[in-house]
Amino acid sequence: MERDEFTLVRDMLRAFATRFRSGSADDVKAQTRTDAQRALDELGLSGLRRTSPPAATVQECALLAEEHGRQPLTTSLLGTALLAPELLRLLDLGERAEPVHGDRPTVALAGDLRFPDRDAVGLVAWDCDGADTALFVHAEGRVTEHELGTPAPTADLLRGVRRASAEGRPVGRLTPGAHQRWQAYALVVVASELVGAARSFVEQSVDYARERHQYGQPIGSFQAVQHQLADATVLVEACTSATRYAAWCLDSETPGRALTAARVAKAEVNSSAVEAVYAGMQVFGGIAQTWEHVAHLYLRRVLVGATTLATTADLLTVLAAPEATR
Amino acid sequence: MDFELTEDQETIRKAVAGLLRDFDDRYWMEKDRDHAFPEEFYAAVADGGWLGITIPEEYGGHGLGITEATLLLEEVARSGGGMNAASAIHMSIFGMHPVVVHGSDELKRRTLPRIARGDLHVCFGVTEPGAGLDTTSITTYARRAGDHYVVSGRKVWISKALESEKILLLTRTAKRDEVEKPTDGMTLFLTDLDRDRVDIRPIPKMGRNAVSSNEVFIDDLRVPVEDRVGEEGQGFRYLLDGLNPERMLIAAEALGIGRVALDRAVRYGREREVFGRPIGMNQGIQFPLADALAHLDAAELVLRKATWLYDQGRPCGREANTAKYLCADAGFTAADRALQTHGGMGYSEEYPVARFFREARLMLIAPVSQEMVLNYLGSHTLGLPRSY
Repeated sequence: MERDEFTLVRDMLRAFATRFRSGSADDVKAQTRTDAQRALDELGLSGLRRTSPPAATVQECALLAEEHGRQPLTTSLLGTALLAPELLRLLDLGERAEPVHGDRPTVALAGDLRFPDRDAVGLVAWDCDGADTALFVHAEGRVTEHELGTPAPTADLLRGVRRASAEGRPVGRLTPGAHQRWQAYALVVVASELVGAARSFVEQSVDYARERHQYGQPIGSFQAVQHQLADATVLVEACTSATRYAAWCLDSETPGRALTAARVAKAEVNSSAVEAVYAGMQVFGGIAQTWEHVAHLYLRRVLVGATTLATTADLLTVLAAPEATR
Repeated sequence: MDFELTEDQETIRKAVAGLLRDFDDRYWMEKDRDHAFPEEFYAAVADGGWLGITIPEEYGGHGLGITEATLLLEEVARSGGGMNAASAIHMSIFGMHPVVVHGSDELKRRTLPRIARGDLHVCFGVTEPGAGLDTTSITTYARRAGDHYVVSGRKVWISKALESEKILLLTRTAKRDEVEKPTDGMTLFLTDLDRDRVDIRPIPKMGRNAVSSNEVFIDDLRVPVEDRVGEEGQGFRYLLDGLNPERMLIAAEALGIGRVALDRAVRYGREREVFGRPIGMNQGIQFPLADALAHLDAAELVLRKATWLYDQGRPCGREANTAKYLCADAGFTAADRALQTHGGMGYSEEYPVARFFREARLMLIAPVSQEMVLNYLGSHTLGLPRSY
């Protein structure tokens, strides 16, 4: 995209996010979710990479996912506007067997929200607000389309997750290269949203440290608070860099290298984003322990996010293996 | 529960602190710089009658417990002597434990009084290039030949070998593949380091330079049967008795270094003024030091519990290992923070914190690495499958 064009898209998303953000957990209601999703759908972001060559780079999509992560939003940008459309695009590059039935599919994951292994059971449709079906990529690259069931429990109060039917309609099969690309893209997009969440929450805690006075001075004047926020900022920068580099690799490198970079990025995000949010919560003090405060919405997002697609243990094990066997 | 030290234990602390007051930072800086054994310090400790603190009274010692021994070594390290001071006497304080428990009366009469008096230096010869903590893999071999053994092999990281007359030497008298259990077939000797048969080469190293660490090459060393500790083939078992006290002593030394490093950091934090106020007024300085204090205090409690258990004759593997783990960590962290508090001056040898830092780092590795402590706790205490 041209720079101006991208700025326009990002500003549109930012305006949407400011308008539809949840001010507290009590704001998360069925009707507000539906309204927010409809408003997001109207932005037409699912078409960003539909053209050939795609109008938006992976880096641009990753920045939009970051932007979406900055606010407590219930909307499905990742599942329905970024991940499922990219999966269909990658299928089309090979040979797609069947058209999908859903108008607006999201993606399905194994029941534990990770990439599936060979015996994945209890599939769930992830990030499914506004979705009508879910696309599941099997461990060997086969793709099936599943019906949505009842809501599934999740600690992330913002994210819509539903059970998905065990049997799925065959849609096609990803080539090995496309499969790697799909995994890398999914890791980058999910990591980006967590980066946005961590960055925004640390910024909010910095603002709070400026405003909140104790002993006649802003708490941010105390070194112990200042240094903690400085450390958190370093963590945010570390996971931002790793994630943006992985996005760049998807635009510029082989699928194998991109997947390695994406795994590194997700591993970094899994620890750094959580640590950064912990630090922010410590600065907010008691207020961040209340139900009304947004802190727990961010904490839930990064904690669940750190186990989504791949845990640190999953990633480090693969990264430790010789490159040829990954 | 009773957290008080006994009157005697308090006396030990005060007496040792008083005795060592004259050995100042300059003394230890010069010994460390010159790689010179601290003879004057050693003589003062020996003359004070402290070397035989755990040696039974009938052999010229005081017959006190590990609690007293750890208080002594903690105070020694805390005096500012750090590991240079502690290592100079460490082996005399508790290293002879296997001999006390398992040695013949003749061997004990011949060696223990001299150790208590201070005129016999000993070192501990267990680790080898191919066997660090994996002790049963040692290959130094003792072949029986009539009334003596002939020993050949190579030892490494033998502290104080250069300065020692005798070595407490672990050997194999049956090869590992010839015995039912790998711990069988190992034999312990307390024997002379005959320089005609033993070549000792100091290892250049990062710190604790007043006491050497050595490679020891043993070539057909003749060892009389009388120098054998206990039964042939039982040496590993004898050593095991001493492992927990060893961890506790090292923990006490690490604690002592941490305490002295923290004291120096606090002093510097009060005195040094930057931006018109003492640097200790900055939370960025004050909090890390307060945090170090909290960790040292917590580690000390586990150490006291471990030594109490041992002196009561109760199992103490969990506590001994935990004490080593926490004291080593707390001691190093305190030394690291002390160095940071001193800023650029911390890096200079003009202040002792650089020496404390180098010495405290050793405790994360020796005599057992932090990782091996976790292995112990993971498999022995938690009952998880052995990982190595």
